[in-house]
Amino acid sequence: MISEMTVDQLSTTFAALADPTRRAILAQLAKGEATVNELAEPFPITLQAVSKHLKVLERAGLIARGRSAQLRPSRLQGEALKEAADWLAGYRGFWEGSLDRLEEHLRDIQRGTRLD
Amino acid sequence: MTEPIRAQEITISRVLDAPRELVWKAWTEPEQLARWWGPAGWTNPLEAITMEVRPGGTFRVTSISDADGSQMTTRGVYRDVVEPERLVFDEPAEDAWHEGAVSVAEFTALGDGRTEIVLHTTIRTTDEMLGPAEAGMAGSLDRLAEHLNS
Repeated sequence: MISEMTVDQLSTTFAALADPTRRAILAQLAKGEATVNELAEPFPITLQAVSKHLKVLERAGLIARGRSAQLRPSRLQGEALKEAADWLAGYRGFWEGSLDRLEEHLRDIQRGTRLD
Repeated sequence: MTEPIRAQEITISRVLDAPRELVWKAWTEPEQLARWWGPAGWTNPLEAITMEVRPGGTFRVTSISDADGSQMTTRGVYRDVVEPERLVFDEPAEDAWHEGAVSVAEFTALGDGRTEIVLHTTIRTTDEMLGPAEAGMAGSLDRLAEHLNS
């Protein structure tokens, strides 16, 4: 399953998503684009720390940042998030599919036992 | 800041209409595993399955796609084997993006002839796996901070 994915991008995406502050930033950006100052407001951390989180999110392709030198508003980018979600869905699909077949198999062998 | 970060976690559960001992055998005997491993559309030739069901033992299953004959191999190491209730197994990192996955399969007898399986998989990653890119960022961040403060 794994070999079909672009693993480098996924690695970066999952690492970016693993941090709760970064997830909170993404949640905020889901409501619309925002500047570093606006994003820093709800968190008890420095502007620099928020900037660092934004860099990680940007490199992971989860957000894009404006080029206007002063404010550089950030906005959500759906593609990387989708890829990560797709990988997890693939993993889940493997097991859900396997358990479907296990269910069937157990039904078959129990029927066989009763016939013996 | 290169603290280990929590990995992705996936939990899948299922209630099966079979007693626990039977479910355990289906997970631990190659002849049975061959019948259900992998989603629909994949066949598991018995000769391509090896399983040493004991702590430290390895497993390897090669599945073949019915559609195009392509192969998918799953391999790992059993970490904990408690018949008939618990199997813990590691899957190694196949590629760079994670450090491997560890799965815990718990089999619970529901008391009415049915068995609940809960499969909990943790996929490990660390900030360090971001590598040099992270370190190379420090300089530009300082400049950004300066700029924001000016």
